[in-house]
Amino acid sequence: MNGHTYEIFLALGVLSPFISFWLLVFFGPKLGKPWAGWCAVILGMGVPLAMASIVLWGWLGEDAASRAMLTEHAFRYHWANLGTVSILVGVKLDSLTVAMYFMVTFIAFWIFFFSIGYMSGHSDEVAGKSKYHRFFAYLSLFAFSMLGLVLSSNLLFLFIFWELVGLCSYLLIGYYFHERVPQYAQMKAFITNRVGDFGFIIGLMLVYFQLGTLDLDDAARIFAEQYAAGTGIFASSFTMFGWSLATIMGVGLFCGAMGKSAQFPLHVWLPDAMAGPTPVSALIHAATMVAAGVYLVARVFRLMTPEALMFVAAIGCITLFLMALIAMVQTDIKKCLAYSTLSQLGYMIFGLGCGAWIAALFHLITHAFFKAMLFLGSGQVIEGCHHEQDMRKMGGLMKKMPVTGITFLVGVLAISGFGIAGTKIGLGGFFSKDEILAVAWVRAFDWDDYSHHEAGAGGHHASVIPPIPAAEDSSNDVFSSEKRIVLVSDQPHGDTHTTSVTPHGLKPSAHGGDAHGRAGIFSQTPTLPKWMFYLALFTAYVTPFYMMRCWWMTFMGKPRDDHVHEHAHESPMMFVPLVVLAIGTFVSSYFLFRDLIADAATQATIAPLVMATDGAIHTTAINAAHSWLIYGVGGAFIVGFAIAIVIYGRGLGMASRIKRIAGPLHTLLENKYYIDDLYHLVWVKGCMAVAHIARFFDTWVVDLIFNTLAKLTERLAAFSGLVLDQHGVDGIYNGMADTAINVGDAMRRSQTGRIRNYVLFAVGGVTIIVVLMLAYWGVASPEQTVAMLAP
Amino acid sequence: MFRHRSHIVTLAFLCVVAIGSAAFAGDSAADVVDHSGITHGAASGTWMEVVLFYMVAAVAVISALGVCFSKNIVRMAVWLFGALGSVALLYFMLAANFIAAIQLIVYAGGTLILLVFGVMLTSKSPWAKFEPRKIEIWGAAIVCGVLFICLSLLLTRAQFDTTISSVSGSSIADIGRALLTTYLVPFELAGVLLMIVMVGAAHLARQEK
Amino acid sequence: MEHIGLTHYLIVAAVLFCCGIFTMATKRNAIGILIGVELVLNSTGINLVAFDRYMGPGRLDGQIVAIFMIVLAAAETALAVGICINVYKNIATVDVDMASQLRG
Repeated sequence: MNGHTYEIFLALGVLSPFISFWLLVFFGPKLGKPWAGWCAVILGMGVPLAMASIVLWGWLGEDAASRAMLTEHAFRYHWANLGTVSILVGVKLDSLTVAMYFMVTFIAFWIFFFSIGYMSGHSDEVAGKSKYHRFFAYLSLFAFSMLGLVLSSNLLFLFIFWELVGLCSYLLIGYYFHERVPQYAQMKAFITNRVGDFGFIIGLMLVYFQLGTLDLDDAARIFAEQYAAGTGIFASSFTMFGWSLATIMGVGLFCGAMGKSAQFPLHVWLPDAMAGPTPVSALIHAATMVAAGVYLVARVFRLMTPEALMFVAAIGCITLFLMALIAMVQTDIKKCLAYSTLSQLGYMIFGLGCGAWIAALFHLITHAFFKAMLFLGSGQVIEGCHHEQDMRKMGGLMKKMPVTGITFLVGVLAISGFGIAGTKIGLGGFFSKDEILAVAWVRAFDWDDYSHHEAGAGGHHASVIPPIPAAEDSSNDVFSSEKRIVLVSDQPHGDTHTTSVTPHGLKPSAHGGDAHGRAGIFSQTPTLPKWMFYLALFTAYVTPFYMMRCWWMTFMGKPRDDHVHEHAHESPMMFVPLVVLAIGTFVSSYFLFRDLIADAATQATIAPLVMATDGAIHTTAINAAHSWLIYGVGGAFIVGFAIAIVIYGRGLGMASRIKRIAGPLHTLLENKYYIDDLYHLVWVKGCMAVAHIARFFDTWVVDLIFNTLAKLTERLAAFSGLVLDQHGVDGIYNGMADTAINVGDAMRRSQTGRIRNYVLFAVGGVTIIVVLMLAYWGVASPEQTVAMLAP
Repeated sequence: MFRHRSHIVTLAFLCVVAIGSAAFAGDSAADVVDHSGITHGAASGTWMEVVLFYMVAAVAVISALGVCFSKNIVRMAVWLFGALGSVALLYFMLAANFIAAIQLIVYAGGTLILLVFGVMLTSKSPWAKFEPRKIEIWGAAIVCGVLFICLSLLLTRAQFDTTISSVSGSSIADIGRALLTTYLVPFELAGVLLMIVMVGAAHLARQEK
Repeated sequence: MEHIGLTHYLIVAAVLFCCGIFTMATKRNAIGILIGVELVLNSTGINLVAFDRYMGPGRLDGQIVAIFMIVLAAAETALAVGICINVYKNIATVDVDMASQLRG
């Protein structure tokens, strides 16, 4: 494929769900119950999936050089000017886009498919009106927004689609808007996201003002240039919290991701968002939309300073740890999965913060597959169990729902990082999550040696960076035993289309100013605090525990609630997607995606300040001294599973004993560290308090002033109105009017309609004439009268 | 008693008129016979004429005022009779014997009877009274009073170039000749008019079906 | 003893005229108004005959017109009485204030 074929296909894939959305908006009720859903499945996601497949097929056929060429010459359309900055609409075409696009469409397609089965079992009427079509309209709009977000080459458009997915999330959480809980959940989600977006906007403004562009590639290029030259954003002496302006920009952009990907302080909305329909939880709040935050960080990775990335890592680390602990005590199956999602998102963010760009995104994709599957499985369970979400009432469902149970187990294994250490046998997280841990380990323990070695060996020349495999060579070699640092050229694309780091591109002299030289990257990039690694490692043990607990409580053991157990059943329409996604989990673990992401790293990750680290550590020893890490990480799932089975293998008895022992801790976790309560206290109550104070101020100060003024005005008005107007002006006019009325009345009265009065008037007139004659001639001049009357 | 008194008044006026007219008629005829020449006039010069005039004029004025101030329609008709009769006497005094006769025949004998019949036919009670408003009375009184004063002033100050014809040409033959020659057209028109009126009155007064 | 002249008759006529007007203006009875009209007509008759007598010697114009006047008065009275009777038939009264159906 050549020209803009890829972009056209991708854009068609974005437009199709948009058309579907409008179709459903206008003709949804006419299409009716099943057909509105099929419209969304086929037009809303089938077409994009077909487009994604075509693009993926074509893209895999391109070699590295032509991919770079395509990326370079991707479609750009001059849309508008913001001041002197021109906004270019276009398609960000690289391997990451292709991979994300395919992942999103593939998963979304099956979730759409699942939705038809799911919605057929749910009442969709509010006040006698079906809102079935509305659900699929929202899904289509979401598909449009999400795909648009993935494709955007411009931060402004990325932001627009970003907000659109937020809107879709809001609408879909509140799909059951006639109930109380979803209402609050949707508001919570929306408001929490606004907090993050506030930071995002600050970041965007800094990009706009300091870098003078909003195009992702241009921004990264200018950022690198400014860094090299010490100009622009790096020339500013502004600091806040000890952060430079460049760091603030990165942190600001990350704030958006914190909201959307539900990172620690802003994570509160995601568990509540489970009030929406289960397919929505699977699609938006597990697989795709929450991944948008991670995707954003990956895209703006090149605009991050080491400090900003350290912040990212810290946030991710705190999130992954805290949320995993909460997940241990959840009894609601969807909440449990929600906290697991939060924890895994924390892993991704943490990975990005560590510089494990490839691993984090790879984890994003594998996680999307198995978490979507898990959620769909939970949806199946909930649907089968008569809308029962409490795991304590489940148990023993394996016999009733074998397909669901097995696919769920696949998901549990994948998220737990199941695999055999030292081999290539594993599932999902075994490759992606453990790779993040490996990079974290390097950053935490081996970094000094490593960076000093690297930096020192070549002086300040980057050419000494250890052999960096060309992407086309190494991309298939996921389990390469070599430790690699992928530090990709930051040079403008037009320069060379290299797909691997070349010494040329990293020469500090190319940008001048050795002080900020490229070789300084290593020394500037700080060692990761060790507690972060330990927390992440510990969580790697917690994750298998809570996932196995969840699975065991649901599917194994004895049925704890006869009613639920008897009702349990599977519907074929709904387990087809489960099976497909289970297969997808296998496939995504081994094939396709990691290669694409590694390829994207070489193309897109121009990191002037930090590197994307590629650690394929746990599969093969880096060196003997650290071989424990492989087993320590790779074997974590065994420990977790074992503990879970020991505790929950024989029902809930032991669990409740432990609960009694660990009373305060359990209470703390069950209440989610009281963060929600804290927010309620600080923000909601705080707002109320401020409002009360403001009201008091209003009542006693502002109102007093204004009331006094009002009184004065009233008096003045009364004077002017009553005295001047009514008696003065009105008096004149009323007088005139009254006079007119009175005269008219008097005149009218003469027209009595009585003939005798008219006779009198006529004679009166004659009398007047006679009187006038007398007056004219004079009473005393009879001569004239004679003259007059004489014949 | 009320009725009784009105009868007496009526009879008294009838007597006055009858006596007056008879006396004057005789006198006038004698005058015409005696003074056949251009002198001061038929009745002029004699004290009798003056006395008669004032008497008749007084009757006329009083009758007219009686008409004005009567509240009762029947009494008004009686006063009108007095007025009409005295006017007829005035005609006699003006040597218009034929007119006077017509006045008596047509007015007193026809019109007045017609009016009385009208009163009879249109009144539930012949004594029914409809009072006008005070302001109308005062307005009419003022207007009429002013008019009368002004007219009197005008008339008394006017110098009329009067000549009394010695020929008391009010012979019926002359009038008849004038009517059928000079005034033929008005005469015919009056006949047509009377016929129309007769038909119209009959139509108006006919019994509605 | 003064002569009885034209002025005397005219003054009597003026009295009758004014009384007739007054009657017309103050009576609510239709017949009463007719009577007023008769008075006015009579005053004109006096005027006509008096002017004929004193200012048109040898001519009978005044008297002829007076005859026509009397004829017209008779006709008028006949018609008016007919109208009065009809009014009475319709509104059961001859109060002219009651005859107001045509009033706007």
